[in-house]
Amino acid sequence: MKAGAVELGHASKVTQRGVNRGMSILDLFLRIIAIIATLGSAIAMGTTNETLPFFTQFVRFRAKYSDLPTFTFFVVANAIVSAYLVLSLGMSIFHIMRSRAQARLLMYTIFWEVAMMALLTAGASASAAIVYLAHKGNTKTNWFPICQQYDSFCHRTSGSLVGSFIGIIFFILLVLLSALALSRR
Amino acid sequence: MDSKSKSHETAINISETESNKGKSTAAATIVATTKAIPHNQKGGWRRGVAIFDFILRLCGLVAALAAATTMGTTDETLPLFTQFFQFEASYDDLPAFSYFVVANAIASGYLVLSLPFSIVCIVRPHLVGARLVLLILDTVMVAFTTAGAAAAAAIVYLAHNGNSTTQWQAICQQFGDFCQQVSGAVVASFIAAVIFIFLVIFSALSLRRH
Repeated sequence: MKAGAVELGHASKVTQRGVNRGMSILDLFLRIIAIIATLGSAIAMGTTNETLPFFTQFVRFRAKYSDLPTFTFFVVANAIVSAYLVLSLGMSIFHIMRSRAQARLLMYTIFWEVAMMALLTAGASASAAIVYLAHKGNTKTNWFPICQQYDSFCHRTSGSLVGSFIGIIFFILLVLLSALALSRR
Repeated sequence: MDSKSKSHETAINISETESNKGKSTAAATIVATTKAIPHNQKGGWRRGVAIFDFILRLCGLVAALAAATTMGTTDETLPLFTQFFQFEASYDDLPAFSYFVVANAIASGYLVLSLPFSIVCIVRPHLVGARLVLLILDTVMVAFTTAGAAAAAAIVYLAHNGNSTTQWQAICQQFGDFCQQVSGAVVASFIAAVIFIFLVIFSALSLRRH
């Protein structure tokens, strides 16, 4: 009886280690996709440069991301978050190799992930507000919707928002995974 | 093995049987004594963290509610008017501000609903499932609140400074009170978002098993 119990305990420990390893591999996979999403957003927004084919002496008809400080913040936030994700890839690979993840390391991971998610969300939602204004304008404040003139600039900025929001969802999944790993340890 | 007893020492007896595949061939009985940690001391620091978590939730509730009401009660009418330009500003003129009010209202509602869960975690410090649920919902609320605060902050920045490329005028020079109230609401919302981040850290701290 006792040997059977010992063997059963050994088998359950092996499956537990397998589940931990599976979670670490899923973590790595999510990180890679999040890197692609945020880096794509930063590059898509950073390379916007549209010049309209007519000009006057006083007004420049050129739109870049750096003309709006919110978009500059968006590019910087996405760049910082991509850099953090690349650095944490190493940490994720370390978790895969060591099946017994350390609690302190997981806690630091959760903290930085939540902080980076907050930064990403701030950049993405601020840009979303500006993009909405650019599409629709506002009658009360007399702000003209510029998308009617700067068409490709508008398309590019709207598209780069999508990658950023995908990154946010993946960050929430990453925090869930890290919390599960912490509670199972 | 009885760890709930009042005595602080337990004796563990492991005896070797014939079918044991263990490596040791030495003595048949291994007696080990350990000083078992008393149950209430082990849950002590967790209980402290849970109490602090509850207090932080109350502070976050105050911050989010203040942000929502400050933004929701904005309504400024300038004493002059023309046929074409309306000199009235309230929060629902800008969709970003409407989303701000909704997001902060949802955050306040969530905090009120999560207070009982927090009390349960104080009373029973070793509950894992409730803490995990609170952690995930707190993370989602961080994203929600930060999104609302950042969108409103972008609009407020535009209202203060305007923009030359897009020819958007800075309206704060006319609507002074409106601008001040809205800026105060944005600050309160950012404070609520930071409190949510701390709540996540505390939940993660108490999920640790030793």
